Order: sequence, then C-alpha cells, then structure tokens
Amino acid sequence: MATPAPTTTFTHRRLIGLAVAAQMLFILAVAGAGYATTALGRTITLRTTPVDPRDLLYGDYLRLNYSISQVAPTLWQGPEPPRKHQPVYVLLRPQNGSYEATAVYPTEPTAPAPDQAILRGWVTDSWRHGLRLRYNLERYYVPEATGKSLQKTGGRRPLLVQVSVAPWGQARITKVAELPK
Amino acid sequence: MSRTLLETDGPEWVRKGIITAEQHQQLLALYPEDQRAVGLLPLLGSLLLGLSALSIVAANWQGLPEWLRLLLLLGSMGGAYAGGEYFLQRKNESLGIGLIGLGLILFGCGIILTSQMYQLIGYDAPGLLAWALAGTALTYLYRSRTIFVLMAAIGGIVQGYSTGQLGTFSYLTAALTVVGLGYYWWRHPNALLGTVLATGLLWQAGLLIGHLHAKITWFFIPAMLIYAVGDWQTDRAAGRALQTPPLAAAFLFTLGLALYGEADTYAGMLRPPFLAYIGALLGVFALSLWGKYRRGRPGSATDWLLLLPGFYLHGGLALAIATLVVLYAYSGTVLWRAHQENNPDRVTLGTILFIITTMVAYFKLTWAFMDKSLFFLVGGVLLLGMSWYLRRKNAQSLSSKQPE
Repeated sequence: MATPAPTTTFTHRRLIGLAVAAQMLFILAVAGAGYATTALGRTITLRTTPVDPRDLLYGDYLRLNYSISQVAPTLWQGPEPPRKHQPVYVLLRPQNGSYEATAVYPTEPTAPAPDQAILRGWVTDSWRHGLRLRYNLERYYVPEATGKSLQKTGGRRPLLVQVSVAPWGQARITKVAELPK
Repeated sequence: MSRTLLETDGPEWVRKGIITAEQHQQLLALYPEDQRAVGLLPLLGSLLLGLSALSIVAANWQGLPEWLRLLLLLGSMGGAYAGGEYFLQRKNESLGIGLIGLGLILFGCGIILTSQMYQLIGYDAPGLLAWALAGTALTYLYRSRTIFVLMAAIGGIVQGYSTGQLGTFSYLTAALTVVGLGYYWWRHPNALLGTVLATGLLWQAGLLIGHLHAKITWFFIPAMLIYAVGDWQTDRAAGRALQTPPLAAAFLFTLGLALYGEADTYAGMLRPPFLAYIGALLGVFALSLWGKYRRGRPGSATDWLLLLPGFYLHGGLALAIATLVVLYAYSGTVLWRAHQENNPDRVTLGTILFIITTMVAYFKLTWAFMDKSLFFLVGGVLLLGMSWYLRRKNAQSLSSKQPE
C-alpha cells in the first residue's frame, strides 16, 4: 500500500471505491440481519411491565421490565459467584403462555431441550436474594402509530413481548402487545 | 514573511529608502492575499444547511419509512466520501479530509441507527469492529493525520463500549489498533501521532486490566512495552512523543504510591505475583535498554526509575519515603538531561515535576514526622548546588559558542 502520491493513482481510487462500497454493504447487511432474525429466528414470548412510560427526553420508546429481569440467585450455575457486567446465558422454558428463566449459566449450555430457549444477557447487579440481568431488550422504540395507544393502555399493566432469537445469537423485539384477558 | 507585515511596515521602509516603492509592490505581489476568509463563507453556509437538514431528519426519523431511512444513511455517507474525494482532487486538502472523516463518522452512526431501527441487539461487537476496520483502511488509503486521530478515537470508543456494555474485551479491535495504527506510525513517524497512539493504546490496556480484574500494576507491562517501542524508533522526536503518555502514567502512579502507599492495604492491592510481574517487567526493561543502546541514547534509561516496584515493600512510612526519593531522583535526572541537551522545554518539564514532587513530599512528611526540616535542608542544598553547577556549565558552553 506504499505507492507515492496516492491521491492521483487509479488503483487508489479503486481501493477507495471498494472501501466505501464495503461500508454501504455492511450497513445493508445489518438491515438484512434484522429481517433474517425475524424470518429464521425462534420466537419466544416474554412477560413484562413498562416502567416510566413517558420519558420526556427520549420520547418514543418504552422502557420494559421483564419477569426474567430479576431472577432467584439459586438459578446461577457458575462455579464462582456472578460478577457485575459479566455476560451470561439464560435458559428459558415456557410457563403459562410466556417464557420464564430456569437457569443462568456463565458459559453457553450444551443442547437445551427442544421446548427451551437460550437468551443472552448481562449481570447488572447481584446480591443475596436476587440477580438482576440486562438483555438490551429493555428499550422498545415504538413505531410512530402504535406508540401513543400502547403508552395509554399499557400504563403499568403487564405486556407480552415477542422476541426473535436468531440461530447466530442476535435477537430483536418483533411485537409488543397487551396481555390477553 | 507575512503580507500583514509588508502592508504595515512597508511604507516606512520606502520612506527610509531601504526599498523603492516599486520593490514594495513587487514584494506585495509575492504574497497574494489569503483566500481563506472568502472560502470560509460557503463552508459555513453549507454547514448551516446541513444542520437544518439534520434537524428535519432527526425530528421525523421515527416517522420515515424504513427504506427511506436506510437510503438517507447510505446517501449521506456516500455523499460525504464522494465530496471528500472531489475536494481532494482539487487540492483542497483540509475540506476533503474533513469530509472523508465525516463519512467515517457517518458509517459508525449508520451501523448504530440501523441496528436500532430493527431493534436488533448483538452480543459482541462485529458492527463496531467493522467501523474500526474501515477507520484503519482509510488511514492507510489517505495517509492523513486527521483520519489517524479519528481511528485512534474510534478504537477507544469501540473498546469502551465492548467492555462497558457487552462485558467482553474486543481483542480484534486492540489488535487492529496495535498492528494497523502502530505499523502506520512506525513507517510514518510523527510526534503528535505518537502521543495520540500511545494514549489510545493505554486506554485500551487500562480497559483490559479492568476487564480481567487484574492488579492495576499489570497495566505497566503493556504501557512500558509501548515505551520500549519508542526506544527503537529512529525518529527521536516521534519516539519521545510515544513515550510521554506511558511515562506520565508511571509518574502519576508513583505519585499516588508516595501519597497512599503508607497504608499497607493500598500497597497490598498493587502486588501482583512477584516472579511473574518482575519477570515480565525485566523482559520489557531489557527490550527497552537494548533499543536505547542500539539507537545511541542510553541516558534516558533513568526513566525506568519510575518503574521500581516499591509496592512490594511492607514498609509503611519507609515505603512512602523511598517512593519520594525515587520521584526526586527521576525529576532530578529529567532536569539534568534537559540542561545537558540545552532543551528549555524539558527544563520546564523537569522543574514542574520537581515542584510537584516537593509538594507531595511536604504534605506527606509534615504530617508524618518532625525531622522534615532536615529532609528539606538536604533537598534545598542539593537543588541550589545543582542549579549553581548547571548555570556555570551553561555559561561556559554558551561563552564558547558566542561572545557575551
């Protein structure tokens, strides 16, 4: 790559073009990963309540607090006690129409049962009676039309959130709906 | 010579007969009026237009259909790169590189906004890694200092996000910074870039130590490795600039040890396994000394005084005093070498370090014991003696070069 006066040569311009095209393709690939996660991913339903539904600064998103956001410390399967910021794997099993945590592992557990699912998260806090986890699913950017109605009806009532988990590990919220009565 | 000087003093020169009025005009013609002020207006104008467009887009972002949002992201990034190339072809270096840098920033924003658009979460940082990769590629393609600095910052941001939010250290980003930027700096040595590179690498090294929950003293192994690389650099100024951040870190650390080392709990937190740490440190020391010897500057080996692992001492006050002695020895040698090199900047630096050390010593020792007067007496006599000797030496060397 050590050619003199690089801004004038033909190969230089080709390389620049290549670099810019690669960056554009990458952004498109991120968008593609979004669609692929929905199409190929496994859908799990999580129970949640929105907290602080009206955020003046950030406007159009809901902050969600999941039933799996705080779990009993007995679910922890690691040899050492959990540390803050540690990445973890949460094993989920369906229970009464939504998925609940059954175990928390520091490394990826092998071969879960077919009805189980694995969601990755991080430890935010751990104390004697609980383990707080973060999944990066706590913010739901509300699509323009549905936002206001969700905020109104959601209030502090529980919501069901559908999350698609792709085989390669990425996850995304695909749907937020009220709990059917 | 500047045009301003010609315009203000020129008529006076003509009046005194130093130059003729014609020569004055000829001289003025040699320094055409700067076009920069004129060129700035369209730039400011387009900046305002850009800001207005940005605010419209930001206000309606959620309402725009997905394809339009993607198109806007891609278009603004591609536009910035194309504009950068356009201005670079027309030799407008600063504007061109500025736009290329903007394109690189927009790439990062594009990755983040796109994942946010699809509510997509990742568990490691391939997206941000791509950003760092693009930054490295552009550093080589444009060989621009601006892009280099930008890339060092991007590496730091990606690593900070990775350790802070994702709980993993991105070794690939670290490798990209070390190999990509490090090799670039090695081939195109530069003082400013040396300091930027070393600072960026120290930041990532600090994050790694925090991530591994290792004793913070391990930080000085990578830090001094960076320092040792500076010893091998043939460009003296660039090498020195690369060594400044690690030295500053070591000095601050030693200062902290002098202040708090008395409490054994603090010193205890610093003690890594003796053999492993000393072995690694000696290895880096040997590498550094070898480099100094090969490049013919063994005098700077005194920098390593700061790395004396005093925290292994269980001495309480003795440790604090030993550390102060080391600090005095270090700032003294900085002063000494600065006078020998006749380098006024480094004299100032050495003086500042000396004063800082004295202040710490004063606060430390007035509380600790009353024999401080002796300590300061010795220090003062030493300092006065040294300044007398150095002044005499300077006067001698100056008088041999020029009269007076």
